[in-house]
Amino acid sequence: MVRYGGWSGKVLRVDLSSGRIWTEDTIEKYRDFLGGTGIGYKVLWDEVPAGTKPFDPGNKIIFGVGPLAGTGAPCNGRTAITTLWPTCSPMPLVATGHMGGHFAAALKYAGYDAIVIEGKADRPVWLSIVDQKVEIKDARRLWGQGIRRTTIDISQEIGAEASVAAIGQAGENLVPMSVVINSFSHSAGGVGAVMGSKNLKAIGVLGTGSVHIAADKSEWEKLIKLHLSLLGANNQHVVPNSPQPWAEYYSPGSRWVASKGRRWGAADPPLETGTCDPHEVNRIAYRTNNAAYFLGKEIWKYTIRGNGCTSCPIRCHTMLKVPAAKAKYGFSEVGQNTCVGLLFGRSFFKTIPDGPQGQTALEACMVGMHLADDLGIWCNYGQLQRDLIKLYYDGYIKQKLGEKEFKSYSWDKYEKGDPTFLMELLPRIANKDGELATALGLGTGYMLARWGISEEEWKKDYNAVYWKMGHPKHHSNEDAGQCGVIINTQYNRDAQCHSHSNFTRNGLPLEVQKRLAAEIWGSPDAVDAVGAYTPMNRYKARMAKWSLLRKELHDSLSLCNWMGPWVASPLKERGYRGDDSLESLLYSLATGDRKSREELDQVAERIFLLHRALTIRDMGTVEMRTKHDTIPAWVFYDPAGKAPFSKGTNRMDPKDMETAMDMFYEEMEWDPKTGAPTESAYRKVGLAAVADELKKKGGLP
Amino acid sequence: MEELSGEEKKPWAPVAEMVRERSKEGKIVSQKELLKELAAQGSKAHRAETAEAELFRKAFEENEDLKELRDQDEEAWLYSSKWMSEAYAKALVRRRGDPLLLMAETIRENSLKYPRPIPLHLFQDLPFEMTEEEIESCLGKMKNLEGYEDIAQTTTSIGTVFLYSKAHLDPDHAAMLAEWLDVGQFNNP
Repeated sequence: MVRYGGWSGKVLRVDLSSGRIWTEDTIEKYRDFLGGTGIGYKVLWDEVPAGTKPFDPGNKIIFGVGPLAGTGAPCNGRTAITTLWPTCSPMPLVATGHMGGHFAAALKYAGYDAIVIEGKADRPVWLSIVDQKVEIKDARRLWGQGIRRTTIDISQEIGAEASVAAIGQAGENLVPMSVVINSFSHSAGGVGAVMGSKNLKAIGVLGTGSVHIAADKSEWEKLIKLHLSLLGANNQHVVPNSPQPWAEYYSPGSRWVASKGRRWGAADPPLETGTCDPHEVNRIAYRTNNAAYFLGKEIWKYTIRGNGCTSCPIRCHTMLKVPAAKAKYGFSEVGQNTCVGLLFGRSFFKTIPDGPQGQTALEACMVGMHLADDLGIWCNYGQLQRDLIKLYYDGYIKQKLGEKEFKSYSWDKYEKGDPTFLMELLPRIANKDGELATALGLGTGYMLARWGISEEEWKKDYNAVYWKMGHPKHHSNEDAGQCGVIINTQYNRDAQCHSHSNFTRNGLPLEVQKRLAAEIWGSPDAVDAVGAYTPMNRYKARMAKWSLLRKELHDSLSLCNWMGPWVASPLKERGYRGDDSLESLLYSLATGDRKSREELDQVAERIFLLHRALTIRDMGTVEMRTKHDTIPAWVFYDPAGKAPFSKGTNRMDPKDMETAMDMFYEEMEWDPKTGAPTESAYRKVGLAAVADELKKKGGLP
Repeated sequence: MEELSGEEKKPWAPVAEMVRERSKEGKIVSQKELLKELAAQGSKAHRAETAEAELFRKAFEENEDLKELRDQDEEAWLYSSKWMSEAYAKALVRRRGDPLLLMAETIRENSLKYPRPIPLHLFQDLPFEMTEEEIESCLGKMKNLEGYEDIAQTTTSIGTVFLYSKAHLDPDHAAMLAEWLDVGQFNNP
């Protein structure tokens, strides 16, 4: 019997209706799908029939991690949560949320590769996992509490080392725009209400075990050191954002913000980040300060330190100490988050006093973070905020709300950019208090339907950046031209793919990017200068395919797609090359299941195709090209009227995008007319049974 | 006859170490300065009858990380590629010369190589360390000086001024890239 490393070996199954708890063998049932989203899609395919709704007891929610979670591999702290998506409109389909923090490692140390939850408890419960002891516990005292109090309460019960993933009032109240959060600030969007529908308040995990590594220790350590040496800063930006003595290149847009004179000013004592030569791997954690990146250089004085996931040296969350958060608003001075979570509060306001990097903006961020991360509200990658701005300033809110409710909000504060407005709005969203809060909490698609607003109205708005099916774009043409657009057509929520944007934003000069692109995708023509796009070619299609497959691979292995793939590096002596085989090397050494890069990419293709099959099955149509892989009108628009392929615009050309989709389907070996995988495409990746089942239902082209 | 020490046999040996120390601190050092320092230390290298040119020639020969750049007055400046990139050293050398040329060449290189415009405030930080007044004065002079007609400005929606060279970057492209670098990337996290 082969003993694999990496995997813990068990998938935990919990039926909340019956209270039954049991396990399955990971290797026996799921090895071919790795973990994470792979296990999630497999469970939904096998066990959740088409027509199931997100809040039905028959829906399942799968917390999946991969064989690399809990190991020493950098950036392995991700948990993928797969379920039928409440904000996916006009019908629910499969989608995934992802959270960092310590949950993934805790789950592995407790002995599990995934938790599959089904049914519905007859009262509020929380799931206690203390190594092999698993119990469904009463959560009635926790129900109605925020995420933070719940986390503290459960930690006090099972141990301070536990990781607790909890929902807030938003999830309890079945607000589709809700999250689950672990480790204070690490959220997975969109799944809170699915947990709430099962009366599941939280999962608390305490693991005292470890992860077995199949490889020889010295071989594993050598690989980890290689991986560390290739790391840049957050989003794998590989050059600093200002000239540094060691650096040949720099980019003002880089997240590598460390420099002489930039200090974590609120640390005790304050800490100088320094020049951070890339060879100093013990200083990787000083490179990134996302709060300063997004909110400006004044933030350095409020920075305590970086924070983040297990075994990740990047520390992309910034911990801030902002006295005004307590003095003016009554919240804790200390808060932490990253990216969209950090900007949650500021993003609601069209205008804000002293600008997007001023003091008020910072205060709005602190207020927003504290409220959203405790109530458990999701922003849908900023779409919630963009929707509010559009609804208000285009007059929809005044039109759709009754006078009494409209007057119950302090719109003068909203127009002035007063952060106290958030203290009115966000609790109401979490509690479905009123028409506006209820509508916003549905997510864009269902909100538009409820208010009788045409989706086309949103799709043509250049500033709303809405894409389809209730969700916005996520790194589209503004980052990578046609490649970005293709990627955004493929999922049932925002794409959450960073494989392509991590590359195009890495900060290296175009000629270096093109040289690397030629090595990875076959031609320097795979990438263009941002804003100087050229017509579609097959190398861009290759890049799109690679980006998507690597995203699925990361989400199944437990590697962070906000960091990988690592195909560029900060090392001049390597010609700024990273290593396109890192994933396969890590997988092979950790598990002992030796796979080449190509072989592992084929596993990723299997997982991606299973997502496609699920979508086709549950949509009940094979016409993916016209009914699913759609592109909103704003992609083909430029505010200054510039033509596609002229310099200074991201505007795409509709005919060229038709060619792009043709080339992408060809690259995937899918039917170009329907955009559906062919029978041979499924069989090629080992999904013959899926092909057979789809054939019976007319799901093959 | 007095026995020669290691340093006397290789009087150029301290040169490499001194250059490396300076490079580690983010600084370049001129040949003149090196010689003065060697003299002040009472270095036998200075007392030995090694010609200056020979001193540096041997130092370069034996230390492949030692590099030299010349400023506009043809003065030689040294750095160690172990601790400093050529790009950074070049910026430091330019800094010692005409600030107009420093700004223009930096702007042109960025517009050509990346390609991108660069924010005005970049010149206030290391390695440039120009004051606001110096920067404004240079920009003012460039408007009227022959040879600088290609240097142009664009301002983003939040008021940040970016500089670019029209010789290498189309104005619409420069404006779009400036907006992307200053606003767009942060609105697309």
